[in-house]
Amino acid sequence: MTYPPGTPYGEPQPGPYGGQPQPGYGQPPPGYGQPPQPGYGQPPPGYGPPPPAPTGTTLNPHTLPDDDNVNPYVFCVSLAGDWFMSKGAMLAYYGDVRFEAVTEYTSVQAWVAARFSSPVYVQDWVVATGRGKVLIGDRGFDLNAYDLDAGNLTIKANNLCAFSPQLELKQSIVPGFVTLIGTGKFIASSNGPVIFVEPPFRADPDALLGWADCPSPSVHHDAQWMTQNIRGMISGALGRASGEERQYDFTGSGTILLQSSEVAREDPAVLRLVESQTQLLTNAQAGSLGQRLVARAQQQQH
Amino acid sequence: MALLTAHKRVLHADLQGDRIRAASGSMVAVEGTVDFKNAGMGGGGGMRAALKRAVAGESLSLMDCTGHGRVYLARDAMDVLVVDLAGDTLTVESEHVLAHTEQLRLDVQFAGLRGVTSGQGLATTTVTGHGQVALVSEGPVMALEVAPGQDLVVDPDAYVGSRGQLSMNLVSGVSWKSLVGEGSGEPFSLRFTGHGLVLVQSSER
Repeated sequence: MTYPPGTPYGEPQPGPYGGQPQPGYGQPPPGYGQPPQPGYGQPPPGYGPPPPAPTGTTLNPHTLPDDDNVNPYVFCVSLAGDWFMSKGAMLAYYGDVRFEAVTEYTSVQAWVAARFSSPVYVQDWVVATGRGKVLIGDRGFDLNAYDLDAGNLTIKANNLCAFSPQLELKQSIVPGFVTLIGTGKFIASSNGPVIFVEPPFRADPDALLGWADCPSPSVHHDAQWMTQNIRGMISGALGRASGEERQYDFTGSGTILLQSSEVAREDPAVLRLVESQTQLLTNAQAGSLGQRLVARAQQQQH
Repeated sequence: MALLTAHKRVLHADLQGDRIRAASGSMVAVEGTVDFKNAGMGGGGGMRAALKRAVAGESLSLMDCTGHGRVYLARDAMDVLVVDLAGDTLTVESEHVLAHTEQLRLDVQFAGLRGVTSGQGLATTTVTGHGQVALVSEGPVMALEVAPGQDLVVDPDAYVGSRGQLSMNLVSGVSWKSLVGEGSGEPFSLRFTGHGLVLVQSSER
């Protein structure tokens, strides 16, 4: 990441508007809202026909970075060939780029089917083909590029934005996660900076972003936490589980990636995933599950 | 003269007996004596703009801030950007306008089909004159240059505004097959040609 944080976006330019407030009148308290330093964040003078950028810098295909962050929230992919991208991740692009649904592509190009083996997620992805610079972003979250070198990394499917076609994507055993295998680059978003930890470690499922090189986690139920909180258990039985007793337990050696937010986002694929699992149920079981789900949906409306 | 200054996610508006217009409900704090008054229909753009706005469904609710002192304006902790205009025109989505100085004129421009796809109404707002306009965006705004032979395609949800001699076309990046079945997720985008700058935010929603 070459991006210098804290770029003075929209720093005011001393202009023909009278500048500072008159002394003694509505002055801000000292040390608070200092007037901007002159010459800071100013557009280049004498710029040609396009008007000066209000952000201080103008980006064009030549000044955009090659496969690097433009700012903490935007990544620029220098496209020459194909890339897998999550639907809607594209913010803007220069050049000649086409976006095609992976589902449609697989029937034409066998390599796509070989690289993308996850029927649950396939409808959320597109193949970007062509030549140009593609800017991608994900709801204003932090974006980071990761390089895999003959490795594997499992990541929350919701947070994966794009990956190069040299990588292979497979669905993880853990619902809501996908595994990338091979050598290549991928881009993932995180709510807040990514935290790297090593096992043995227990993680909150919502804060967990992914893991690399270590075995898939097992679910740990913190019995002590639950018995200590009898009242919590009662409220849990009434449908208000805190969720804090359920953790993912990592063992072995590897790296675990965490994001600094527990805000879970809706992943449409999880519904498809769970729905496909309900085939294991008998009709009577499915009926009682349905009733419980209806009760839960009604409870949450109040 | 009123001065707008962006401080990260808060806009400082220093008033010296004059007036600015700010999005209704965006005031977070105030120092000095400042009066707030609803600017009325059409965001103060006059009856014609009000009518156009009503027809176009471009919603913009502004209030007048008059007095002496400093007004702190913000919206949903979004990033703030101040654009200085010297007689030229800035085209902007009305939902991104946080405040503007008195001398600027806001008008509505019909944008054709584009508004239908982005769900932001049938029209965009144009800001013309000499003064400052403050915009809010999700994540910092990038200014992307468009020049002949250097077209830019933008996701309608990431589009904030544009400046310069630009023409905007609706492009469909999908074939018929994917329209019928699974869409590509980028069904419509905006293609900018000409000479100018396009402001893009870092979130597509």
